[in-house]
Amino acid sequence: MKILEANAGPLTNFEVIKFLKSRGASKDPSRVLADVSPSEYKVYDYLVETAACNQSQENINEFLEKSKKYDLAKAELLNIINIRPSTPVELYSMIEQCDDRLGDTVEELVEVVVEVLPSPPTETANEEGTSEANQETVTKENIEEQKIDEGDEKMAK
Amino acid sequence: MFYLSRIEHTLRVPPDILRLPLAEAIKVELEKLFLDKVVSNLGLCISVYDIRSIEGGFIFPSEGAATYTVVFTVIMFRPFVGEIIGAKLKESDANGLRLSLGFFDDIYVPVNLLPQPSRPEPDPRKRGRVTWIWDYNGEDFIIDWQDEIRFQVRSVNYPPVPIEQLNESKPFAPMVITGSLDFDGSGPISWWTDAEQVE
Repeated sequence: MKILEANAGPLTNFEVIKFLKSRGASKDPSRVLADVSPSEYKVYDYLVETAACNQSQENINEFLEKSKKYDLAKAELLNIINIRPSTPVELYSMIEQCDDRLGDTVEELVEVVVEVLPSPPTETANEEGTSEANQETVTKENIEEQKIDEGDEKMAK
Repeated sequence: MFYLSRIEHTLRVPPDILRLPLAEAIKVELEKLFLDKVVSNLGLCISVYDIRSIEGGFIFPSEGAATYTVVFTVIMFRPFVGEIIGAKLKESDANGLRLSLGFFDDIYVPVNLLPQPSRPEPDPRKRGRVTWIWDYNGEDFIIDWQDEIRFQVRSVNYPPVPIEQLNESKPFAPMVITGSLDFDGSGPISWWTDAEQVE
């Protein structure tokens, strides 16, 4: 075995999940028929729980366009797209020397993230009731998400 | 977190799968060889992305199979140092935490990289297990199984394959990630959503 190119380009979580979906990976029981190996399904099952599950190419392009003025490194952008930080405290840790570089624009960037990248389904139904504190934090945003989820389910039916 | 890597490999394609078109037959063999395996310094192989070129097809003397040289691209799981990843708690003992991504389980958070100051409390249900509690200004924050835990990658190591393994040692892991939870925004995500509300 010879490694020709160790790094032929990074992929976002979204691109990996898109690739697996294109191979036939899905959540429904017919998945056993798809040409996807068990180890790939483990990756898929992890990724559908992350923010990548309902992103689209347009979302990501739009985000990259809008975040240009903040002058972020590629790795930082990748991390933001994968995690989708919705609060400044989450964003701080992803950006090196955040205070010096972004200063007061952190909040602005968080707003861009929240606005452009779709929010993941609220911690999914299986975590419901596990933490009372979580339930109390159901904000307007979360309610909107639930509506979207319901819409998706209807579509699926 | 994921990268594409280009690899050249010479492999033997057994004749029974040559009923498939050649590219597919080679893909089957490559998946058998690489999928879910760690390549040292390259990461964990997730998927064969594409096949760039196929050369050869030579049958060596006294061998019943064709040998091809293939250039292909694979999707690798290889987190970079400083990356933030969400994981689930797998084990929690006196040495720290062990986190899991579902497809990758060898993520360790040693005690010195836990939020400071943290203290362990023995788990009454399981012997040898402890629950780590972060003591923030007198308030207790518990690291438990419910939430997704965000950690930062401190280092990725590929330990050499041991020649001899002691019976009591833990199974050999070809790729070990050391994570840290000692910064703001890390740990179970519920810690921080609550914090925002307080503000």
